[in-house]
Amino acid sequence: MAGSFGFAALGTGADALASNARTRVRYWNLFSGGDGANMIAMLDAFRTADPDIDVKDSTLQWGNPFYTKLAMAAAGNRAPDLGVMHMGRVTGFSPGRLLDPWDVGLLAKYGVREQDFNPKLWQRGIIDGKLYALPLDIHVQLCFYRKDVLKKADLLGDDGRMIPVTSTDEWFDVLKRAKAVQKKGLQTIGLWTNDQNFQWWFFVAFYTQLGGRWFNDDNTEVLFDTDKATQVLEFLRRHVTDGYVIPGAPTGEQFVNGAPFTWEGNWSVPVFSGAKLDYGATPLPPVFGSQATHAESHAFVLPHQSDRGGATNEGAHELAAYVVKHALQWAAGGHIPAYTPTLSTAAYQKLTPQNEYVGAMDHQATEPKVWFAGSTGVLAQDLGPVVVSSTMGSARPDKVAGTMKSHLTKLLASKNPMDGRTAAQGGAVA
Amino acid sequence: MTTSAHMTTGAQTAVAPARARTATATATVRRRQGFQHGGWFVAPFLALFALFVIWPLLRGVYLSFTDANISGDDASFVGLDNYREALNDPAMWDALGNSAYFTLLVVPCITVLALLLALLAHNIERGKWLWRLCFFVPFLLPSTVAANMFQWLFTQGIGLINETFGLDTPWLTDKSYAMLAIVIETLWWTVGFSFLLYLAALQGIPEHLYEAAKLDGANAWHRIVHITLPMLRNITGLVIALQILASLQLFDQAVVMMDFSPGPELATRSFVQYTLEQGFTSYRVGYASAMSIIFFVIIAVVALARMWLLRNREESGR
Repeated sequence: MAGSFGFAALGTGADALASNARTRVRYWNLFSGGDGANMIAMLDAFRTADPDIDVKDSTLQWGNPFYTKLAMAAAGNRAPDLGVMHMGRVTGFSPGRLLDPWDVGLLAKYGVREQDFNPKLWQRGIIDGKLYALPLDIHVQLCFYRKDVLKKADLLGDDGRMIPVTSTDEWFDVLKRAKAVQKKGLQTIGLWTNDQNFQWWFFVAFYTQLGGRWFNDDNTEVLFDTDKATQVLEFLRRHVTDGYVIPGAPTGEQFVNGAPFTWEGNWSVPVFSGAKLDYGATPLPPVFGSQATHAESHAFVLPHQSDRGGATNEGAHELAAYVVKHALQWAAGGHIPAYTPTLSTAAYQKLTPQNEYVGAMDHQATEPKVWFAGSTGVLAQDLGPVVVSSTMGSARPDKVAGTMKSHLTKLLASKNPMDGRTAAQGGAVA
Repeated sequence: MTTSAHMTTGAQTAVAPARARTATATATVRRRQGFQHGGWFVAPFLALFALFVIWPLLRGVYLSFTDANISGDDASFVGLDNYREALNDPAMWDALGNSAYFTLLVVPCITVLALLLALLAHNIERGKWLWRLCFFVPFLLPSTVAANMFQWLFTQGIGLINETFGLDTPWLTDKSYAMLAIVIETLWWTVGFSFLLYLAALQGIPEHLYEAAKLDGANAWHRIVHITLPMLRNITGLVIALQILASLQLFDQAVVMMDFSPGPELATRSFVQYTLEQGFTSYRVGYASAMSIIFFVIIAVVALARMWLLRNREESGR
């Protein structure tokens, strides 16, 4: 942190000297680690491509502090010209008051058009008919598997990928066979059984596979299906009771050491590739019949400025469009670029294991489009620990399903503190 | 001490009213002069105190009656709604329960441990300074440093604690151990302060009491039970009271050790953390303010109860 502040201070001084004739675009993001390095490389490429725009980027800590700062900056009219958010958070972020809509014509001028995106993904960014979030990627939950272990258990197909699994019985059979040949002392699969975020994401994925719904279209009624939820919770729990998981064991480390499976976000791709493992990654297995894996998206947003417009605003559009179109580098971090033309390039199709799970784009399981949803939002914070209590065995799955429904009922009735409206009263009109 | 001094002055005033009147007049003059000079010295502090303590406090009270959100505009008056909601919010009571549970575990442990360490450091002959230093130094660490260290020590699989004791306990990831881990960290980190209070008090016990007891044939155990402990009664009261107040405000070490999560199945979410979540995840500043005020009242009640108990004991002792 201290380091980045230092650099930020240096940057300000240098920019003040150099930026007389140039348009300055202030850009806030939440990318650290490998993502941070990739984002900086893309920004540097943009700086070379258009030297007239002076990009002043700041990286803030991921999570709630980021959203709080963005909200307060927008409310205090000190907002940056461009920002990044998780798509799911946009609805609750008071679009129209804390966020300004994109000028779709201006985006088209810089080569970004609606038809270049997955239609469902594009729709997620639209609120009250206006585009508030320009998707950069989707990031999904994946089933990582070690080819060296699965080969011994005869679980690889002719194409060198894991054999398809279409039911829970098949899935547990795969686990059983892998366990028989794996290194002793390790778990068979890493499931983040104690982690309220991961458990929630897995729940959303499998509940969607079962065709489960959250609310009706008007967001006036809870349609949460406790029978389906119980099925999902029992499925997650069974990994523990059947002895495939060591609760609390570090998931990624066990995988690197030889555990056959781990379920992780696609951001673990650089970690496992860096460890030179022989591995593959598929979307979470369709054990309930249909494909669906949890997906969230990073998206560009325009934080509210009362005097938004002119060259700075156009610069923000140009920068966002450039990064969205040149996201091959971004794919190295495991994310699936939202801009579909990138996916058909030869360079992307050569990326492994990215080319194995790119189809997840068409089978996204997302949280409902309501103000309390989104990455580390109120919904996840409320329901995540409840799912964990079932997976860990401190509460019965059917009882937990009931608890989840009562939480959802309470949330649906509650008002968004940012505008005093319930989910039914606004925001989520697509 | 202060109370009895006042009482003596009061008695004298009653006996000699005339002299007292003169004395009061002089005191008033002195006080006024004192304020003129002292006031300027205190002014910078008072200004900062008003700006950063009094004003936020009053503002917090005001916000607790509104539906204010994080952006700070469009707040409307909602009366006692926030308070009513908070008192009916099971999550708030759970969080309060967690803070209370933590307090219940920490206070007795830390009091006994501090006393034992103080007795040890007081009676040991060689390297006294080293013992004192060792016991006190952890208290000087910032909470984040201490919590980070223990996060590593408790990590399952590679942590030193499981390694040393041959365990495989999921300290930080199982709801039945998570709070214990925080309690252990807190003991190590803060026992030094109470230890120091006890040590100072031990040094204040007159040596002749022990000599007299020895002459009467009291052994070491008797001397501790019948001299040391009674002489430490006041300091024990102080240690317990300070520890209760500090423990109820559990926040930083728990949050750091749990990576800013509420712990496994919410097991370590303290009252303070829940208030923060309401304010900064849910953006409900009004509601969070109401919970802060409720918490303020709880703390104030505990502090007043302590004063009341202390006064009762002093009176019964006299």
